[in-house]
Amino acid sequence: MLRYQENNELHRDFHGTTNTTLNYIAEHYGIDTLKMILRKTGHDVYKSIREKLAKGDASELIEHLNWFFYRENGKYQLTVDENEIRFEVLECPAHKHLKSLGMDISPYSCLQTEEVNAGMCEGTPWESSVEVPGGGHCIQIFRKKVENDFQRPLCKILQ
Amino acid sequence: MISSDHFVRFYNEVFKFLDEKQGLEAYYSHISSHQEFHCLKEFSERGLQGVYDYYVKIRKEENCDMDIVLNDGELLLQMNCCPSLSKAMDNDAGMCEKYCLHCPGWTAPLYKKAGLYQIYDLVGLEVPQCSEWIFEDREMAQRKYEELSRNRQESLLLKNF
Repeated sequence: MLRYQENNELHRDFHGTTNTTLNYIAEHYGIDTLKMILRKTGHDVYKSIREKLAKGDASELIEHLNWFFYRENGKYQLTVDENEIRFEVLECPAHKHLKSLGMDISPYSCLQTEEVNAGMCEGTPWESSVEVPGGGHCIQIFRKKVENDFQRPLCKILQ
Repeated sequence: MISSDHFVRFYNEVFKFLDEKQGLEAYYSHISSHQEFHCLKEFSERGLQGVYDYYVKIRKEENCDMDIVLNDGELLLQMNCCPSLSKAMDNDAGMCEKYCLHCPGWTAPLYKKAGLYQIYDLVGLEVPQCSEWIFEDREMAQRKYEELSRNRQESLLLKNF
């Protein structure tokens, strides 16, 4: 079940403000600061997803990806198996809207996906990666870490 | 992609960071310039009617419980339940205590640029309600400000003139 229940109208121009904000933070405070804010957003805002992932339950993450991209009329394909969630976005709704407004897409646009997803996975048996072929097309992958690498005590690793 | 639905919670994290750096005012100014893209022409050319029409659209898209009253040179935006602050409060990351300030922060300079006079009653920074009066005539705005300032907390009553 989703922690944040959103099911009414959408204000897509928020993508424009996000785009402007990504540029602003990167230009005034640096890319590392932007990454930190995005990572913290993923970690703290999506606490519920993260805590479920830590317990081995990916249900809210899957519902989150599906529901919020469906609401924005995104074109995507979601493939789930026990150890991997593959979310292929064929046309990013944010990029599509920014183009419709005539705005330049921030060079940090895909960083928001990379860092927010990474924040959701922090401290859990999952890790995320994002492949960006370009043109509003990305492949977001959430993969279960190899068991031996997840939170194994250092002494065990040294042995 | 941070969804449109969750933009507010990202914005809230940005405010927390900027507040620590004393960077909120400069950011509001930047966002105000960005919003000119969406609003300035309408506000400048059509005055209060342009503002009215903009907020009718916003009320629907942002799911606002808001009364919009245009009457005799005065536009009142009465937010009964702000969806933006409500989301910032319904948030596992916790609310930035200055969250509300972004609204007058970006609108005040934009109205000024459009030749409009704004009075903003924030009511309370943890209360998802506010009132905003906008005028084309400065004297009307000044009279309203004087009337309101008798009963409102000064720090929560803002104006752009």
